[in-house]
Amino acid sequence: MSTQADLLHVVTSDHITPRRAAFGRFLVWGSAGLFGLSVLWQVLFEFDVTAFGFDNWRPVLYAYVFWAICLCVSQVIIRGEQGKRALFVLPAVLFVVSMVVFPLLFGLSISFSDWNLASLDGRKFNGFDNFRQMWADPFYWNALKNMVYYTLAISVEYAIAFGLALLLNSQIRGQKFFRVAFLMPLMLSPVAVSWMVGKSMLEVRFGPLARLARWIGWENPSFFGTAEFARATIMIMDAWTFIPFMMIMILAGLQAIPKEVQEAAIVDGASPWQSFWQVTFPLMLPISITAILIRIIFKLKLADIIINVTSGGPGGATDSVTSFIFREYRDRSNVGYGTLLAMVYLVLIVVAITIFMKLVDRWMNPRY
Amino acid sequence: MKVKLYNSLMEAQMNRRNMLKGAASATAIAAVGGVGSAITTRPAWASSDLRAAMLKIPGVGKGSPSDADWQKVGAMTLGPTKEVVKEGEFAGVELTFMGLNNQNLHNFLFRGFLKPWEKYTGAKINWVDLAQADYNARLQQSIATQTVDFDIIEMGAPFEGDVTGRGLASEMPDWVKSVIDMDDYVDYLKAPVGTWGGKTYRVSIDGDCHNFNYRTDYFSDAGFAAAWKAEGHKGEWEVPTTWQKVQEVTKFLKGKKDPLSGLAAHGYLDPLKGWGGFGFYFLASRATAYAKHPDDPAWLFNPEDMSPRVNNAAWVRAIQDVLDVLDAQPTDQINADPGTTGFQQFLAGTGSMLSWWGDIGSNAKTSDTSVVGDVTGFSILPGSDDVWNHKEGKWETLASGPNYAPNMAYIGWGVYVMARVDSDSKKHKAAWSAAAHLGGKDISLWAAAYPSGFQPYRNSHFNIPEWVGAGYDEAFIKDYLASEADSYNHPNAAIEPRIPGIFQYYSVAEDELAKIYAGQYKSAQEGADAIAAAWDKITDQIGRESQTKLYKSSLGI
Repeated sequence: MSTQADLLHVVTSDHITPRRAAFGRFLVWGSAGLFGLSVLWQVLFEFDVTAFGFDNWRPVLYAYVFWAICLCVSQVIIRGEQGKRALFVLPAVLFVVSMVVFPLLFGLSISFSDWNLASLDGRKFNGFDNFRQMWADPFYWNALKNMVYYTLAISVEYAIAFGLALLLNSQIRGQKFFRVAFLMPLMLSPVAVSWMVGKSMLEVRFGPLARLARWIGWENPSFFGTAEFARATIMIMDAWTFIPFMMIMILAGLQAIPKEVQEAAIVDGASPWQSFWQVTFPLMLPISITAILIRIIFKLKLADIIINVTSGGPGGATDSVTSFIFREYRDRSNVGYGTLLAMVYLVLIVVAITIFMKLVDRWMNPRY
Repeated sequence: MKVKLYNSLMEAQMNRRNMLKGAASATAIAAVGGVGSAITTRPAWASSDLRAAMLKIPGVGKGSPSDADWQKVGAMTLGPTKEVVKEGEFAGVELTFMGLNNQNLHNFLFRGFLKPWEKYTGAKINWVDLAQADYNARLQQSIATQTVDFDIIEMGAPFEGDVTGRGLASEMPDWVKSVIDMDDYVDYLKAPVGTWGGKTYRVSIDGDCHNFNYRTDYFSDAGFAAAWKAEGHKGEWEVPTTWQKVQEVTKFLKGKKDPLSGLAAHGYLDPLKGWGGFGFYFLASRATAYAKHPDDPAWLFNPEDMSPRVNNAAWVRAIQDVLDVLDAQPTDQINADPGTTGFQQFLAGTGSMLSWWGDIGSNAKTSDTSVVGDVTGFSILPGSDDVWNHKEGKWETLASGPNYAPNMAYIGWGVYVMARVDSDSKKHKAAWSAAAHLGGKDISLWAAAYPSGFQPYRNSHFNIPEWVGAGYDEAFIKDYLASEADSYNHPNAAIEPRIPGIFQYYSVAEDELAKIYAGQYKSAQEGADAIAAAWDKITDQIGRESQTKLYKSSLGI
């Protein structure tokens, strides 16, 4: 190892003997072989090719952990100081592989199979059948359409959140109180919101909001009676919970804007609207994009309020993709199809978010 | 004791206590089995005082029972356990019990009931509480992934195909059969229910059927009677006994005022929102009188090939009935599930007719949230002037009059012990002892009389003086129990098939029904065809051949 061009400041000079390196390689390949053999053995056992095997996959997991430990140890044995550096990253990589990559691959394999938990035959590979079923499934497309509506509602949420943030950023009385008060809905679980607001306050006979509606002249208040109203009510409940999240991010951004820029605009004679629209708003764009992006990701997961309050009704008007997958999975034990729907949704989200970010990037950094 | 026999004894002015005291009674009891049969571990008359005292906890009309009451009842009914288990015999044993937490009942009661049992036996129970809507998924996942992590489960008979059919349950030992006195069960809960392949697995704690609950103040209201005549309706203003009349009354009541609350009057309450599959039972209750022909045991599927009947003329008529009275339902009914129609509407004073499990009857007078305890009446589900003959493909009018077919929805909850305890004899005995305690003859009477989630299911539950002693109004309880007994013993009862994945069929039907009720299909027939197509898909996925075989077996074909 050359220390002359060592930009990483290696402090010790390792003398790795060939025997030591060979031992390290033996350790890593030996444990890998053990792991591979245990996988192969268990797979053969599962497919009834061999008569002997483990009762479950736990021993294979132990073999994987053993291999992971050997891999880490062998880095130091084979590469010395450089190997120690690898240890800062390697456990995290192995963890991600175990907890993200492997489940994702496993999920993919499930999504191309016919697996109904009530079937005595268990899981069967069925190629693209689930995809074809999805293509012809009106419930899934309906849920996707609803997601478009739900996502578009973020623009209104953003405007309200911005307004509230501006209000809290100005010198108003009780500023600290309002900051805490406005933040409180975010602290509530959406399940609690579903029950407290959706099931109790909006209850049509005794709910206080229904009573208020009757008092102001709405004879038979119904908050979930029609498709449009039900969707709007769900949007409002979800917005009430998450507007504070956007508001707090925007508020943090507003407080980070240099005061001099705004003061300079005022000195130059800008009206309050011009000062906001031409100075504050453009300066807030990066934080706004981040807030909207995170909010979109939250929104795409919308399910709990819907499941608790409307079960996707009336007639699927409030169904979200997640609540539909939840029903497919939970009520119908249709694991293969449910997983495929989730996978397709994941791909759609990744593609949509990537396009969104590209468009925003072009808009904010125009290339002339 | 058979209900008929009991009723005839009652007619002869012989109360239960006198009958049991009498020398002649011994012969009668031996003849009917049950309470005094040789296998009973204790004489029934020894517990009659205990039963009376137990039923006074806390007493009808004295508010909802609390955990302290449940524990008292659990302690009072420990007798049979003490006969087979020594004190502290299960010290060190830990059992996991999985059940429901609906309306703070089920597992909440079991906790109280089993606390004295835990104290006496030394065993400890860990609890897994599930919401009704989460129950099916949790169970199916445990079965499919072979991760049964509970020793005892509260489960409905429809899942027996999934659980006992895969060898996951423990066979009931003979001593348990004696302790719980299985001969006392109403007939429809006896084998084959609770058995699989000739082996017994279930301790029944409930007997389910939908009965018809109505408001007596509506049907004795002079104003309604006069309006009924004035509007030219045929017949008297009375409780409807057919679905045709239910429809007529529901439309008639639109725009009128509720005699109790002064708010809008409503007729029959349809739950229009799904309930994790359980909502489908409510359409079935409307459909059975149309679809269940006395000469045909099948009414959901064709037994030859499992092709669905849900899109035949009978079911389509039931769906159309719901659609025809949509505008007569309370506001926002499209968002009302069965829990709402039962507990937030009917018991809270909205609506005049409802199909539900027996919980309405047991809650009407004992629940703090009920306002209709004094104005609720009961009967079996309405019948129909004509019935669909599926084999002939035509509507028939029976010579005997309207066709009645009570819906034995869910066949009741039971307690099952899982096979994983079989390898440990101490744990095995402890689990079965706990199950037997919950399914005991006396404890079950209390559960039937108070809010519990369970309804009467033993012949001995139909002893009216015991209920009156607890504080029930005699007319009310006679009416309620008769509606239950007449449903259970009805010769044309519609009994649910015990086939794997039955709730998948119900769940997908709920999704399609929601679309039908929201007007997204051109007709009820089109919507019903969509349900049938989805059902066919599920049958193919689970396996048509095995499903057909199990369906036939559940029908006794």
